[in-house]
Amino acid sequence: MAENDEEDAGLAAEYVLHLLPEDERRAAEDRLAVDGGFRALVADWTEHLAQLADDVAPVAPPAGLRARLAEAVSAQARPSRGATQGRGIMRWFGGAVGMAFGALAAVVILIAVLPPVQPPYSGPFYAAELAGEQSDLLVQARFDPRDDTLLVERQSGAAAAGRVLQLWLIAGDADPVSLGVLPEDTTARIAVPAPLGQQIAGGILAISDEPPGGSPTGLPTGDVLAAGEVGEV
Amino acid sequence: MATTRADIEGMIARIAGEDRAAFLDLYDATSAKLFGVCLRVLKDRGESEDVLQDVFIKVWKNAGRYNVNGLSPMTWLITIARNAAIDRLRARKTPAEGGEALDRLQDAAPGPEAQAVAASEAREVVRCLGTLDDDRAAAVRGAYLDGETYQTLAARFDVPLNTMRTWLRRSLQKLRECLDG
Repeated sequence: MAENDEEDAGLAAEYVLHLLPEDERRAAEDRLAVDGGFRALVADWTEHLAQLADDVAPVAPPAGLRARLAEAVSAQARPSRGATQGRGIMRWFGGAVGMAFGALAAVVILIAVLPPVQPPYSGPFYAAELAGEQSDLLVQARFDPRDDTLLVERQSGAAAAGRVLQLWLIAGDADPVSLGVLPEDTTARIAVPAPLGQQIAGGILAISDEPPGGSPTGLPTGDVLAAGEVGEV
Repeated sequence: MATTRADIEGMIARIAGEDRAAFLDLYDATSAKLFGVCLRVLKDRGESEDVLQDVFIKVWKNAGRYNVNGLSPMTWLITIARNAAIDRLRARKTPAEGGEALDRLQDAAPGPEAQAVAASEAREVVRCLGTLDDDRAAAVRGAYLDGETYQTLAARFDVPLNTMRTWLRRSLQKLRECLDG
């Protein structure tokens, strides 16, 4: 086994065990967001080490907790919430129908009232949910291969004061390629250059914290705040 | 009735669709195990209860993302609980005295349902830890189950911090060779 692999496997184990000092832990999290190989190592260790919990005896929690939780989820469950929780992809299908009628601003309103519908187009769509452990940023992205557009909706979180959010595509082992700085609006429609569009499937979309105007170097310079793999939907 | 992996996955999928009954089913099937995990790290009932509440709220909110990470459902749940407990532990200013809670842990007998959940398909880690020296295996368990740090482990085994890290790194490497083998 190559020395680097061993080093990475050790680092992944230390990450899972929560043994890394704060700065190294953060660096590992940044890497997790963009490095599929490292993510796989962390997942492996997580799965293996969780077996240690077999030895932990179950203890009945205090009786009142169940009722408190039941109440908490009742209070949170609202009819429109389903769209943002777990059915994000269907929401984008709804969005596709809205788009056909034009105004992007109307999409959010439309999908709030439309039941999830199948799109008339039967080819693949691609979608990703971008999230990160260190930030509350949650972004849904949906790529339409018919016209190489990426629809991006920021559902929570925002750029820090005086900073911007920049979107990147990471395809395979290649360096991240900028897809642009996200606008202040929560939704954006980004035209992806055709050659890049072909690399979106199976790639990773990531958002980094950058100075106004975007990264001066052409590569992410700030923390990776959120990332997600693009899957076919 | 035994709760299987498929049952838990089904509950998580239904929770992603905001099914409150499924949420309570999952609570009934897994809360004792997850409370045990929190208690083991925090050794404090009140704090563990707070953390467990946060854990289930997280599960409610993130159930739709469960499939993304490819983990088995109990691993996913245990990891959320353990991470939350360790975050709480690290945020604490002074370590709590844990004797009483620990005693209670050892006294507690799992109910049949919880036992079924606890029995994972594979126990390679336990077997492979057995191939390490006792001290080293105890260090790995201490880090995972009790949220020990290199600092506390170094103090416990009375070795310098760097030595502790080298030790544990080597042990983890050996563990991985065994797990892959």
